[in-house]
Amino acid sequence: MSPLQSKVLVVDDEFSIRRALHTTLSTLGFDIEEASGGEQAVSLVRTERYDAALLDINLPGMGGIETCRAMRRLSPQLPILMLTIREDADDKIEALDAGADDYITKPFHVGELMARVRAAVRRSQITRDDIDSVIVIGSITLDRDRRLVQKAGNIVHLTPKEFDLLYCLMSHAGRPLTHARLLTSVWGSEYGTEVEYLRTFVRQLRKKLEDDASKPEYLLTDSYIGYRFSDVTQAGPRS
Amino acid sequence: MALTRIRRTIRLVLGAALGSAVALLVSYCAFRLHFNLSTAGFVELLIVVLTALKLGFWEATGSSLVAVAYLDYFFAPPILSFHVSDPQNWVALASFELTALIVSRLSAQVQNQTEQAILQRCNTAKLYELSRSILVLKRQEPPGPQIASLIRKNIGVDAVAIFDSAFAGMYTAGGCTREDEELARSAYFRNTNHDEPGSHRWQRVLRLGSKPIGAMVISGIDLTPPIIDTVASLVATAIERARSFDKESRAEAARQAEQLRSTVLDALAHAFKTPLTVILTCTSGLFEMKTLSLAQAELIELIDQHSIRLNALTTHLLRMAKLDSTDIQLRREQVAIPELIGAILDGCSGQLFGHSVQVRLADRDLAVSGDRQLLAMTITELIVNAAKYSSGDSPIVLFVQEQDNRVVISVHNEGSFIDGEDRELIFERFYRSPASKHRASGSGIGLSIAKKTAQAHQGNVWVNSEREAGTTFFFALPAIVRREHESIAE
Repeated sequence: MSPLQSKVLVVDDEFSIRRALHTTLSTLGFDIEEASGGEQAVSLVRTERYDAALLDINLPGMGGIETCRAMRRLSPQLPILMLTIREDADDKIEALDAGADDYITKPFHVGELMARVRAAVRRSQITRDDIDSVIVIGSITLDRDRRLVQKAGNIVHLTPKEFDLLYCLMSHAGRPLTHARLLTSVWGSEYGTEVEYLRTFVRQLRKKLEDDASKPEYLLTDSYIGYRFSDVTQAGPRS
Repeated sequence: MALTRIRRTIRLVLGAALGSAVALLVSYCAFRLHFNLSTAGFVELLIVVLTALKLGFWEATGSSLVAVAYLDYFFAPPILSFHVSDPQNWVALASFELTALIVSRLSAQVQNQTEQAILQRCNTAKLYELSRSILVLKRQEPPGPQIASLIRKNIGVDAVAIFDSAFAGMYTAGGCTREDEELARSAYFRNTNHDEPGSHRWQRVLRLGSKPIGAMVISGIDLTPPIIDTVASLVATAIERARSFDKESRAEAARQAEQLRSTVLDALAHAFKTPLTVILTCTSGLFEMKTLSLAQAELIELIDQHSIRLNALTTHLLRMAKLDSTDIQLRREQVAIPELIGAILDGCSGQLFGHSVQVRLADRDLAVSGDRQLLAMTITELIVNAAKYSSGDSPIVLFVQEQDNRVVISVHNEGSFIDGEDRELIFERFYRSPASKHRASGSGIGLSIAKKTAQAHQGNVWVNSEREAGTTFFFALPAIVRREHESIAE
């Protein structure tokens, strides 16, 4: 889908930010609608169809996190990007737990914002078409049914848990997944705080998949939050 | 003491004299009315019993002896003489005296018990009143003086002195002398109770369980030890209660202040970041539109760069302010040092003013238990500081090794000699060495946060500096044995 057709809802209580985003993003080919509060945003999502939503985490009234939950309930496929101010990882984790697809910290560069929006829109369409049993990202290919991973055509041997972790990350490529979410979906619901387990496995996966494990291109760390598998537009040179 | 004894003797003599006078009057009347010995004897016995009830045993005894003499004189033949002719009359007189003694003894005892019971009831009422009013002390006024005056009012003593060990404070009520105050203080330090019943002065150590928390001296009235002990334990409880209320309200105030600070910092972050977001959205939007002339692009780039710098400064300052204002709460986890350093160097590469960083790891398996974010901030601070003050384009050397179960991270740069005096002071809040003030920008908080972080991790931070060799900051933390988690269910 070309950005020309992307309809994006911008939710922020600051008029100046809405105005700056509106002017910039519409000039760059997005169709922008604004909402100044959570209630207004939720009622817009109820009646309109959007390709993505930019949602400020600090909103008066029902608040960003609650708005995110309500929007997610109304529209399970809508890509939601949270705009946060604080560096605090807790806010971001809370946003991801509430159903946000990604977050971006204010202030940001419009180029990066657009890339994230595009990636989120693309992901939502992939999800809609159901995930293929074979995922190809960059030089890495994962075949879910054959439980087979190849890097540039060579088979990479993974332990079952490594495979599950990689599948979890690759099937959500581009999306940050929190430590807790990865632990519970790979190891089970009784896990959730054993971040050190996760680090060890990510280290192993990086050794097996990355060209240089100390400068990962695929398995990226979101500091204090979790990991994300790069979708190529974010890792590689942007087109 | 002597005075009381004399007073008591005079009272006794007067009582006995009164009893005797009444007995004399009754004897004379009975004599005039021609009563016989036995009738007169009963009337006299009545007088003795009344004396015993009203005045006491000894007064009644005195009266009874005098009454025997009257009976002998007026009624035992030969009358109007002390001579007794009939031996039966001796028996009668002796029986009279014995009966009088027994009856007066018994009635005095009953009287005494009644008085005791009344006194007891009265004291219980006083104690009840005291305990009731001590429970409703005014919270906004200091408790000590209130307690002292409540004791004076409710127990009815002349003077109260309470010594509170927590504030070394002395609270008095009534006509308290310096001596009373001194006694209260010394009772606490000697940790002994002492009673002076003669002068009606009572010293009590105020204890909570077995722990002394102060002492009390009360004086002026006769009190029994159980009552004084009860008063003392009431006072101790009241003081302790007031102290814990005080502690609670101080904790509450601190919590509110902390909340306020956090709210103010959040509001500040919002106030700074919103305009910065607008500026950067505009500048980066203009870039993305790709319609700028060369000169326009250059100017916009300047705005962009400086806004980014302003943002970095704001973020740093706000983070420092937040850490500075609170007791550091650690979110401990196992942190592998090599990985941590890798992440730090990735993160701060833009702030190194072109200096390169050489990393030397003595052991790749070093790990500490700590707050990843805080440790990263602290090490970043040391590296960025080194870059700021490093001379020329000399490299920064980061060396990590284990020493005596501690992970010691050292950050070395050439130049920037730090004076001996300054080596301690630079870790103090807002201190900036006079030598560095004009050389590099800084808030004067970073190193104080580094120190706070190190202390919170049971570690420490210090600096060595030599004119020739350069300056090295050390950051030491307790090491943990690195465990790999290969064994978990795969």
